[in-house]
Amino acid sequence: MRYALFFILILLSGSIKAQDDLLAELEVLAPAPSKSFSYATFKGTRVINQQSIELPGKGVGQFVVGHRFGALNDRPLYNLFGLDVAQIRFEYSYSPHAWLNVGAGRSSGSKTYDAFTKMRFVRQSSGSGWNSPVSMAYYSSATVITTPFSDGFDHYFTDRLAYTHQILIARKFNDALSLQLAPTLVHFNLVPSTQDANDQWGISMAGRYKLTQRMALTAEYMLRVNSLDGYHNSGSVGIDIETGGHVFQFHLTNSRSMADPQWMMQTPGQWNKGDIFLGFNISRVFTHASPNY
Amino acid sequence: MNKTFFLTLAMLAVLAASAQKLVSRETYVHFFSETPIENIEAQLNDAVGLLNTETSEFVFQVNIQSFTFKKSLMQEHFNENYMESSKYPKAVFKGNVVGDVTYAKAGNYVVSLNGEMTIHGKQNKVNIPATIQVSKDGLVVLESMFIVKPTDYDVEIPSMVITKIAKELEVKVKSTLRALR
Repeated sequence: MRYALFFILILLSGSIKAQDDLLAELEVLAPAPSKSFSYATFKGTRVINQQSIELPGKGVGQFVVGHRFGALNDRPLYNLFGLDVAQIRFEYSYSPHAWLNVGAGRSSGSKTYDAFTKMRFVRQSSGSGWNSPVSMAYYSSATVITTPFSDGFDHYFTDRLAYTHQILIARKFNDALSLQLAPTLVHFNLVPSTQDANDQWGISMAGRYKLTQRMALTAEYMLRVNSLDGYHNSGSVGIDIETGGHVFQFHLTNSRSMADPQWMMQTPGQWNKGDIFLGFNISRVFTHASPNY
Repeated sequence: MNKTFFLTLAMLAVLAASAQKLVSRETYVHFFSETPIENIEAQLNDAVGLLNTETSEFVFQVNIQSFTFKKSLMQEHFNENYMESSKYPKAVFKGNVVGDVTYAKAGNYVVSLNGEMTIHGKQNKVNIPATIQVSKDGLVVLESMFIVKPTDYDVEIPSMVITKIAKELEVKVKSTLRALR
């Protein structure tokens, strides 16, 4: 009789179990993913002039057009605040892998051609196991200026080259705020005088603050360490507007050139003198290879 | 009657109780929206479902970040701007299978799923049509196709992109359920 009671109890416990919250049981069967990676630390692959930690997705190509108008203090009414005179940059890049982007561009400042690559090697994550507090990428570009030399000397082709290297270290602090630091080295094959170092160092600081889901404030500053005479640190503030496949970036900057060595180390303009340029970048992505369903 | 007999009976009873539950760990979910400008399409196959064949209760859960799009930027925007998946990582259905289904017998059954759907942190009562197919080897396949309106779940679509995103998304679910062990 005692066993019969036991048997009934077990049966009862079974039917009670069946009425348990199925959802709680599902949680046990399929727990949430234990690790998640940060994404969309910045809206664009550039903050303004500075490259951001972002890359176009795998199999995606991106076309970027950049404009920098004339200086606001250069006969502003006659030139309509610089809108009459614009420098332009085109670039196209492609990501064969999610972590690798390669591309080339042409900027009208000093008629400069460039090739660049960005490799992301650490992603910020949260969850179980080891997590990185930051995302990191290596960015490098090689540039060649094609305007004639005006100093009257004979030059080798290699005098036209400069190389840029950056380690991008970025953190998405929350949905709105992201900051990025980038130790920077620009190697100029040719510098103005023997006193100037061919290796120019700097630290780039950049950030964004999201105002709405599709709009963000951005700012960046390049602090030069061993600066070339006659040039100033580059600083820019801007706004990002994202509309599906495009990102529009409008900004004010004291750097007119868009090629890396020029805006990083050779910015002649000064904010407090009014050498301010209105500019914009527009990007459009093209999916060349998409995941197979 | 001896002790062993009762113990065996008891264990069988427990087994029978858990065998009333069917689970699917590889549920396929696909959604699609069409506008003249752009099609939006994504899928995943790691959704989970749990069906209690005795009480007809059915729960179903999707990790939003598992959705794969053909365009990676679209996937980023889906997570970042529309679904806010870091805040609302899951979509959940909880409810009942309504209709006569004999899970022990092979056949096709037309049913409906009645309950609550939670997407983007917003809960709505839903009643969606579904079919249940029981095969001879006891496999249960639940299939459903239904419409989700982003506005019902407080997913905000700005006027700037309103022509690119349809007001209704067609969702297809295919869940193959096996006895829970």
